[in-house]
Amino acid sequence: MAEYRTHMKIISDILATTRDDLQDEDGATVTYLIRKANISHSRISRILKTLVSQGLLEKTDNQGSNKYKISQPGREFLQAYYTFTNFADNFGLNI
Amino acid sequence: MEFLLENILNLVGFLVGLSIGVMSFIGFRNTGSPTLFRLTIAFISISLGFFVIWTGYMVEDFVIKSGSIERWIQTLGIIIQTIGYFFIAFSHSIKSFFPKSSYFRSVGILPLFLVSSVQIEHVFRSISFILLAYGAIETMLSYFENRNKGTIWVSLGLGLLALGEFLGWYSFVFPESILYTASMIIKIGGLISLFIPVSKVPLTKIKFDKDLE
Repeated sequence: MAEYRTHMKIISDILATTRDDLQDEDGATVTYLIRKANISHSRISRILKTLVSQGLLEKTDNQGSNKYKISQPGREFLQAYYTFTNFADNFGLNI
Repeated sequence: MEFLLENILNLVGFLVGLSIGVMSFIGFRNTGSPTLFRLTIAFISISLGFFVIWTGYMVEDFVIKSGSIERWIQTLGIIIQTIGYFFIAFSHSIKSFFPKSSYFRSVGILPLFLVSSVQIEHVFRSISFILLAYGAIETMLSYFENRNKGTIWVSLGLGLLALGEFLGWYSFVFPESILYTASMIIKIGGLISLFIPVSKVPLTKIKFDKDLE
């Protein structure tokens, strides 16, 4: 049975991909993120829009295709996410 | 002796609850997680409940000097604590039974219990026992999934608090026995056990929300 991922977990998977697993220095394409984060196009589009508007991701237009890179606030969010995931884990809970 | 233990228990409960509550709140402000919001409500309630009872003892000892704490203060403190225990159990029930429900994943349903003061106190002690036992069992089951050693401490802590609540409630049957003292010692142990894993969370690396600095 597939493991249920919370919305927060999906966001952290996207941010972690844009931090640790980039195709090149310009960032990751939507297609690449869909494959890595295992999420539908319509859903990832909404999430990417939110993450860019919140300043957690930086969007660059590279030869007609949009690419995404993690920003400094995004890195800090991801660090906080990992710390508090461990905190909630102690209570047997997921954040 | 009982008075001293009661004060230690309530102070430890207040401080441990407050520490975990503040930590959960920092987590909530940094991540926006509803789980951390529920933990914040849970531990701030637990802390406030212990604080109310401690204040009751202090007022009785230094101002009223009647020899026993006002019953309604003790009952009020226990009710507030029960709300906290409810939110711990509630978080587990969401994780286990409603992982995808956006309705239950929101703040939650505030428990409303309407029912003489002694009776209410014992009703709430028994509700606390059930909630704590449920929380302890669910937390232990989570250990088998995540294998995080901190989970064992939290499960043990909730289990000891449940046992303490049970003995506290049972001491109603044998009021002059050692049961109430044992209940307080066990609850202090439970609170310390709850705090052990939380004290290891490396908060120093987190850049706190600007409003909190």
